[in-house]
Amino acid sequence: MLESLRERIRRFLLKTLRLEILFKWGIRWSLWPVHLVTSCCGVEVAHTAGPGFDAERWGVLPFHTMRQCNVILVEGTITRKMARALRQVYEQMPEPKYVIAMGACAARGGLFWNSYHVVQVDTVVPVEVYIAGCPPTPEAVIRAFIMLHNKIKGRPGPYVEPVRVDIAPPKPPARPAPQQTQQAPAA
Amino acid sequence: MSAKPPPKCPPPRDHPLLEKVKQALGGAVLSHGVTPEGHLCVLVPPDKVREAATAARDMGFDHVLSLSAVDYVAEGKFLVTYIFASYINPELRSQLLHIRAEIPRDNPRIASIADIFPSADYDERECHEMFGIQFEGNPHMGKRFLLDPDCCIDERTGKPLYPLRKDFKIPEWSLTG
Repeated sequence: MLESLRERIRRFLLKTLRLEILFKWGIRWSLWPVHLVTSCCGVEVAHTAGPGFDAERWGVLPFHTMRQCNVILVEGTITRKMARALRQVYEQMPEPKYVIAMGACAARGGLFWNSYHVVQVDTVVPVEVYIAGCPPTPEAVIRAFIMLHNKIKGRPGPYVEPVRVDIAPPKPPARPAPQQTQQAPAA
Repeated sequence: MSAKPPPKCPPPRDHPLLEKVKQALGGAVLSHGVTPEGHLCVLVPPDKVREAATAARDMGFDHVLSLSAVDYVAEGKFLVTYIFASYINPELRSQLLHIRAEIPRDNPRIASIADIFPSADYDERECHEMFGIQFEGNPHMGKRFLLDPDCCIDERTGKPLYPLRKDFKIPEWSLTG
């Protein structure tokens, strides 16, 4: 009885009074990431939060404990031993929570793709946004947070359209056909 | 796989520390050489490693910089390499002392030097985990130190696998699978 009443009140507040928009607005502008610095990507996140790029313009404030945060920035390689810690950290965080996998190592192992001890982040926790690069630039980190903004808003994009670059080696210029050389007749 | 294995000892040359090492170890020096960086490298039999470590400590080396192994899989040998260095003695600050010992691959056992150099303890535990070398006298043999407890275990026999050996196959659960 009490449960259903609470559910009805909740639905009334969220849908009829349109408080959901307000909630999402609040979440969007207070994405506090907890660092999980396992590789060199942590340096780039330090740049992102520093005065030059100043990620606090988008409400991104790096904080030190997972219980007060709602985003995990996985900055680097996750080994099998660290995957346990990642899962523990993830489960200690309050809802709503998001995971950003930063760098080539977090996405697909990166440099350590054929290691005996490296796991992919999305086999451990659900990942919202991937950032490409080794390591990614601070602009890419900010772009990932803006992508997360838009994902929370429910509006996809603006995704960055990948630029197609032809990395095939240029074809060598056509060589002239080898000329028939006059061979000396065998004596 | 036709890569030539690296030489076990660099070519011999004169070195100021050589006389002291030979004095301390006597006839136990199998061969010696000088690395391209100018550090003395000495190959000793595996049962003389503790004497060699004691001699290095008496010469003034105060910590083990590195302890590792090289897997000569074609010959069936492990080359255990110890590198000693010094922080305190000014005349030894530019010097490293390499001591190497060769042990058979099917029964890899060597004496521990963790009680002579406490800084060798972690290195021995890592080397045991990665290569399966038993350091006799180290109380932490057979325990997991760096690797995950569930990782690198043979599923059929339940025995640990050693991932830095040359014949280790990358398992299917890794990212390559």
